[in-house]
Amino acid sequence: MTTPVRAVPKPRPAAAQRPLGFRELFRRLEFVRLVTRGSVDLRTRGRLLQHLVGTDLKRTHADTVVGQLWWLIDPFFSMAIYSILVTVVFAKSLVDAPLFLFAAILPWQWFQTALQDATTSVTGRGNLIRQIQFPKIILPAASTVAATMTFGFGLISLAVLYIPYPSHLSPWLLMLPVVGAVQFVFTLALGILFSALNTFYRDVQNLLRHAVRIWFYMSPAIYAVSDLKGSPFRFVLALNPFTYILTSYRSIAYYNSPPDFVALAIVLGISFILLALSIWVFKRLETSFAKIL
Amino acid sequence: MPASPYAVDVQDLGIRYNLNLTRRTTLKGSLAEWVGRKQQVGRHFWALRHVTFQIRHGEALGILGSNGAGKSTLLLALAGILAPDEGTVSLSGRVSSLLTLGAGFEMEISGRENIFLIGGFMGIRHRVMQSLTPSIIEFADIGAFIDAPVRTYSSGMRARLGFAIATAIAPDILLLDEVLGTGDEEFRGRSRQRIRDMVTHAKAIVLVTHDLTTVTEFCSRALLMEFGQVIYEGTPTDTVDFYRDRVAERKRMLAESAPVSVPRPPPVVLDRLAP
Repeated sequence: MTTPVRAVPKPRPAAAQRPLGFRELFRRLEFVRLVTRGSVDLRTRGRLLQHLVGTDLKRTHADTVVGQLWWLIDPFFSMAIYSILVTVVFAKSLVDAPLFLFAAILPWQWFQTALQDATTSVTGRGNLIRQIQFPKIILPAASTVAATMTFGFGLISLAVLYIPYPSHLSPWLLMLPVVGAVQFVFTLALGILFSALNTFYRDVQNLLRHAVRIWFYMSPAIYAVSDLKGSPFRFVLALNPFTYILTSYRSIAYYNSPPDFVALAIVLGISFILLALSIWVFKRLETSFAKIL
Repeated sequence: MPASPYAVDVQDLGIRYNLNLTRRTTLKGSLAEWVGRKQQVGRHFWALRHVTFQIRHGEALGILGSNGAGKSTLLLALAGILAPDEGTVSLSGRVSSLLTLGAGFEMEISGRENIFLIGGFMGIRHRVMQSLTPSIIEFADIGAFIDAPVRTYSSGMRARLGFAIATAIAPDILLLDEVLGTGDEEFRGRSRQRIRDMVTHAKAIVLVTHDLTTVTEFCSRALLMEFGQVIYEGTPTDTVDFYRDRVAERKRMLAESAPVSVPRPPPVVLDRLAP
């Protein structure tokens, strides 16, 4: 065994050996620098984000007869399908099944749309990326925001569901933006990461389609966590951030009870760490996008 | 006017492509490489190397060269879209880089909305864009189509709108790739006039073209590129003459090396692969 020998740096001129303060040292870290720059990109290009979101919303359902109404019809159809599946096919007795399912399926569809659109947001704009220099991180962010808007319209159909089931209305429903905010940060982090990776490996977008579907069934969307009592599968659920997000939605929209604030706070913390990592990866890879698209 | 004497200052610029990544990589390919430990060293290709030149304000530089000489890569580097792997590119002033006019348009939204979207990508304030819109629409001359989705436009209309946007933002440096030949005779005349105006207003222009008469007509200087390097720099007429000689010489050499009448493909690819 040899002791590791530290390479002795060449003595530099005295002027360059100004001692660095902690703050400056911190700022010089590449990770911090890139994450800072990425978040500045996101904050300062609000207008571009707005235009892109508008474009995205106009593009979906363009040239359809009922147009934007599909934002309300789409979630209703999936709610109806899952209601039939769960109550008729699986013959599960569920009180007010449509609302029970809708409270989880609607946010899940937001997640799925946002993630899939964000993943292809960079690869789909190769033409533009080879035309103009701009912060590419806006692209997955815009896809995520656009999907959030669609989710917002979907909430109208959720509101309609309270007409037949008024007993599930409670003030806890006002916590919806809080749960939504946690989900937004988590989704944004994954969207930014996958959009960068997909630029190098187109397999990501294909893989993701299946991964998201598996993830759906591993999350308590068409069942409750309590349905799995004693199952070893519960361990998987415990590690899944969406368990806490979907359960919280269901608490406030179906069970008239408060969300699990502690769990949400933990998920939010993890999401922010993930977001920083994603921005770092994205900024690292961004300079190569124009070369490989 | 900006302080720097040069609008564009390129020093020893090199742009390198990693051939492992350029052709849509799949996970399978990469995994196979890792597993097989086939370290494919040297699969790099320098699209540009040791390129050095300057452009002053009010100069129009023409860039000549055959296909694959690195002209478009050079424009991408000047636009800041490709980061230099070697050397530096310094620009003073705002760059407008709609290189291929209209290729970045969003098809489903209207021309007017595209003006704002492109403005947003270029980082121009919304207010400024609003005040520029009437003149853009007027110059593009596409009438009521401005509020129709861009997918309904003809290619000429798209090119006109693209040119109008790229030049309306009053860039200090304008990068153009083969675009002065677009549109009908009337628009061609107007776009040429606009370029001339920009030159007289001390803007720097970089023009990539195959049309040799465009170079002699517009440019104050020209570069000839070959295999990613600048091999000649001079007045437009000199450069064009040099280029013509060179092409003729290459043709002659090709004819001599292949006495049989079977035409040989030019040995381009091998030449360009750097060790």
